[in-house]
Amino acid sequence: MPRIPTVELSRYLLTGHIASPGCLRARAALPGKNTRVALGGAPLPSRQLQPRQHARYLTTETSFANPSATTSSPAAAAPFRKQLKEQAKALKKSGHKKKKSSDNQTVPGWELTVGIEIHAQLNTAHKLFSPATTSFNDPPNTHVAPFDLALPGSQPLFQPATLIPAVRAALALNCSIQPVSRFDRKHYFHWDQPSGYQITQFYEPFAKDGFITLYARDGIAAEDGEEIKVGIKQVQMEQDTAKTTAQPGDVQWLDFNRVGVPLIEIITLPEIHHPATAAALVRKVQMVLASVDACVSGLEEGGLRADVNVSVRRTDDPSGKLGTRTEIKNLSSFKAVEDAIIAERDRQIELLEEGGEVKGETRGWSLGSTETRRLRGKEGEVDYRYMPDPDLGPVVIGEDLVARLRETMGVLPDQEADQLMERYNLSAKDALSLMLLDGGARIQYFYNVLDSLEERLVADGQAVPEGAEHATLAANWCLHELGKLTDSASSSSCSDPDVLEGLAMTPLGESPLVPSSSLAAILHHLYSRTITAKVAKDLLWAVYRGEIPEGGTTSYIDTHGLWFKELPEEEYAKLADEVIQGEEKILGEFLRWKQGKMKAYPQGKLMFLVGKMMRGGPEGRVEASGAERVLRRRIEEVYLPELEKGE
Amino acid sequence: MSARIGRLRGLCLRHVSSTRQTSPIQRRSLNQFISRVQQHDQPALEQRQFRLAVKDNIATVSPNSEEETPLTTTCGSNFLANYRSPFEATIVSQLRSRGALLVGKTNLDEFGMGSHSVHTAFGAVAQEGEHEQQAVKHSAGGSSGGSAVAVATGEADIALGTDTGGSVRLPAGYTGVVGFKPSYGMLSRYGVVPYANSLDTVGLLAKEVRPIAELILGGADKVTRGLWAEHDPLDPTSLSHGARRRCASQRDCYTGPLPKDPYPLKNLKFGLPLEYNITELSPSIRHSWSAAAAKLQSLGARLVPVSLPSTRHALSAYYVIAPAEASSNLAKYDGIRYGTRFTSPTESDAAISEGPEGREEEEEGILYARARTAGFGDEVKRRILLGAYTLSSAAMDNYFLKAQKVRRLVRRDFNRVFALPNPLLDKPERFELSELPETVGLEDKWGPTEVDFLLCPTAPTTAPRLDEVLSEEEKDPVSAYMNDVFTVPASLAGLPAISVPMRVEDKEGAGMAGLQLIGQYWDDARLLAVAETVADVVREEL
Repeated sequence: MPRIPTVELSRYLLTGHIASPGCLRARAALPGKNTRVALGGAPLPSRQLQPRQHARYLTTETSFANPSATTSSPAAAAPFRKQLKEQAKALKKSGHKKKKSSDNQTVPGWELTVGIEIHAQLNTAHKLFSPATTSFNDPPNTHVAPFDLALPGSQPLFQPATLIPAVRAALALNCSIQPVSRFDRKHYFHWDQPSGYQITQFYEPFAKDGFITLYARDGIAAEDGEEIKVGIKQVQMEQDTAKTTAQPGDVQWLDFNRVGVPLIEIITLPEIHHPATAAALVRKVQMVLASVDACVSGLEEGGLRADVNVSVRRTDDPSGKLGTRTEIKNLSSFKAVEDAIIAERDRQIELLEEGGEVKGETRGWSLGSTETRRLRGKEGEVDYRYMPDPDLGPVVIGEDLVARLRETMGVLPDQEADQLMERYNLSAKDALSLMLLDGGARIQYFYNVLDSLEERLVADGQAVPEGAEHATLAANWCLHELGKLTDSASSSSCSDPDVLEGLAMTPLGESPLVPSSSLAAILHHLYSRTITAKVAKDLLWAVYRGEIPEGGTTSYIDTHGLWFKELPEEEYAKLADEVIQGEEKILGEFLRWKQGKMKAYPQGKLMFLVGKMMRGGPEGRVEASGAERVLRRRIEEVYLPELEKGE
Repeated sequence: MSARIGRLRGLCLRHVSSTRQTSPIQRRSLNQFISRVQQHDQPALEQRQFRLAVKDNIATVSPNSEEETPLTTTCGSNFLANYRSPFEATIVSQLRSRGALLVGKTNLDEFGMGSHSVHTAFGAVAQEGEHEQQAVKHSAGGSSGGSAVAVATGEADIALGTDTGGSVRLPAGYTGVVGFKPSYGMLSRYGVVPYANSLDTVGLLAKEVRPIAELILGGADKVTRGLWAEHDPLDPTSLSHGARRRCASQRDCYTGPLPKDPYPLKNLKFGLPLEYNITELSPSIRHSWSAAAAKLQSLGARLVPVSLPSTRHALSAYYVIAPAEASSNLAKYDGIRYGTRFTSPTESDAAISEGPEGREEEEEGILYARARTAGFGDEVKRRILLGAYTLSSAAMDNYFLKAQKVRRLVRRDFNRVFALPNPLLDKPERFELSELPETVGLEDKWGPTEVDFLLCPTAPTTAPRLDEVLSEEEKDPVSAYMNDVFTVPASLAGLPAISVPMRVEDKEGAGMAGLQLIGQYWDDARLLAVAETVADVVREEL
């Protein structure tokens, strides 16, 4: 165990760094305008979404404003770009899973069984047992109460407000909330655990017997069919440990800001039999937690950690007993969950087929590796000597609280995905991607853009459009056009330090690089057909590069003369006539359609002609939809009657 | 200028531990203090002020003004020999606001674990005694031995102790002073370094009952509020205001200061627990106990035998529960964040006064083990091992859980013999007559007599000689556990109990021992009132 001189450490910890009780820097949540209340305007039936009033938002602004802060410490959160890449990969994988890795979901003759433990940081203002504020990127050891350091004579003070996100999470996971639960001490020595024990809920957890339903669109293995239900054994509250930052020369630095931060541990039943389903479950739990505002950040941001228990047995084993399981600790991405399970399953099967036996042990996984590695065996296991904490009374959760939280829980991801698909015409894949990207912040960004866009349309004197067209447009841009920015940025960013952070999306759904209002302004002009799609894309890049300040989109278009000066109707007609010259064969198709000899409208042919118009017309003045409209009218009103007459 | 004086005055603070010089008071090396506030530093007492000694497992900051160097809070351990708490215990703040002037921090068994105050890194506490006309040292009792001696020698008017299984009452009995353990949850434990949280209470020691009663119930001036009414939001086990009021409304004597006149003993019923008449009870104590009972009876009280059948298991249960909690509480001492980090086993002595630095060449991987080996004394290690074992998954069911069941039975025994119901229970417990031991006589068809207080000795013997204690500790370290047999039951049940000095006579002459009164939960006020009267009766020749 590396040592730091006590004197140095105590100076580092104690000199003016102990938060006095009640010293809290309340973070006021931003006004509710850009919350999910704005799910397209009309509230969902029966379930009102709640503005997040007491929520604490972890922002990455500090690291954005000062990139060197993150680069100086190797254990700090990975750069956003890397995470985005990973997420994109995970998404891609989930999208193409059925084609690519379906072979790898099962091994003939063997059944895989997986149970998962997920640790999630609760979204609370205070630590579990001290009034110290919770924080994410604050300077180390600035939010530490005497109890957090286990100073002699300090006592735990349970913060009842931590129950709210915990109960919300448990309700969203369909658990029954226990009227009485208790806290126990789990003993082990580690430098990140100052009291020598972690306070957890071993004997009587606060929530039990839940389940989570996974659908095909969540990316479960094809073998699991359209949907699968996985039981949740229990959800318990517990303390987080201090954050260790490795320093050169076998030195560890400890940040006690994180010690005592409330976590929930979600323990599933061993009911998962396919690696992709396990990854889908973790992803879905993350979405569920984010949707009820229970969790501060996702797996990739370090707010969520997963341990998986893996065992295999022969499908023809008559005893039906589960095989010996191993535990793989601390998986930090969805891909890692799936890959580690596959690797561990294959290792166990190989071992058994060679006549060996699986030992119950704890194993580790590092990103990008192909096999799990042994951390410690059964003999190295600690007897945790669980004991009820004698300082802490039972936690009594009233039915009124549960009822109230159930009523005000908000919209769960399945409902939200349905709404995105039905109301805004998104594909299942796009809806899920939107909800998952940036740890749930991208969908928030989408709603912000949509709000802002609708505001602009109303300001123009238009009513908010009835249809979904503008929303579909916004969603496509939030997903695909923004995605292009970061994709290209990450491939060319080595020389450009400014784009290191991707979109730097905040949990509130705001990007300092592409403010939602700027994107809305672009989309407003695009939707109103005052700029072309090409100009819109150029403008987005200009915003991203910082050439257009927030609110400066319109004047930028003015000064650069980018307005779309559309051809007048008669010039469109003239252009259409030019294009149609010599295309009698194509016109014949339209005629056959008109005469009912062909069922489908020859849209392809029409678009071919539109393409010709675009190329033939003056640059930047022909717009596809205008060209299409006029062309179609000319064909139907002028050319087809002529042809019919001629016949 | 005044600021400078203030800063320099801190230099006058002398810590016994670091200088190890003998002062006139320490001449006979009673070792009652670990650190002291220098005498000339103390202004003359004003009205309502009193001198306070604080057991060194209770956190203190600067003694009497903010400019002085904070006192250490050592818990009698090498581990914390230089530890200065950044915060003050609630009870110390409460007493300072009532006029307390701190005189020093008193010696104790390490972390409160012991019955003779000999298991300390700062030298065994002693009281002066006589043996065959020779001056000898006697045990001061433990673990609040230093506090008891500080009161007995007149160096403090009030001393704070902690009572987990008798640690205030036993030394009070041995040294001939009054020791009071309040109901669990009455006095805040915030800043009290825990030994066994579910049993720990802050206790008060003084020469008479009255100064203690004035602090608990409020003074005769009616200005200062009684400590009983103050809830501490920093201690999760401190009773809420509502619960305090509710409990007090079912009790007498909480309405004002202690009356001047003796509490009328007529019609009071005292129970004499049959199970406390053990073979280990010394004949002289047994004699004084029954003489005291007879005297009280002559003054109008009723004395009735009662049975507490779980008593014989209580001591075993205590020595399972307390070490289990201790092994957990003491897991935090690793020398990393505070306290001494012992970097090499040979320098454990030197490390007390000097911080360990620049020992890079040490082997890896044994930091915690080395620190905990050097930091803790033998008795603490014994109890940590005991506790770690009883909590281990193999032994949990047979020890820790059984002990908790015994604890419930002990509480049930008390609830059965007391006339007052336990206010912590939702409804009064029901008892089957058939369950009663045959030794208990029935008062009427409803059952045996229910009593107001239990009357019993504090310890089975008078204070033993220190050299005998030390040699016994070598031979059979567990034998000292026997001294807690009369005090542990009240601790397990969380009941208020007080030890008042009782005169005993044996072949070596007259001496003092403790007579203990135990009351029902939150009957502290009446217990103090009655104890004052009883103390006056038993102090004189019986």
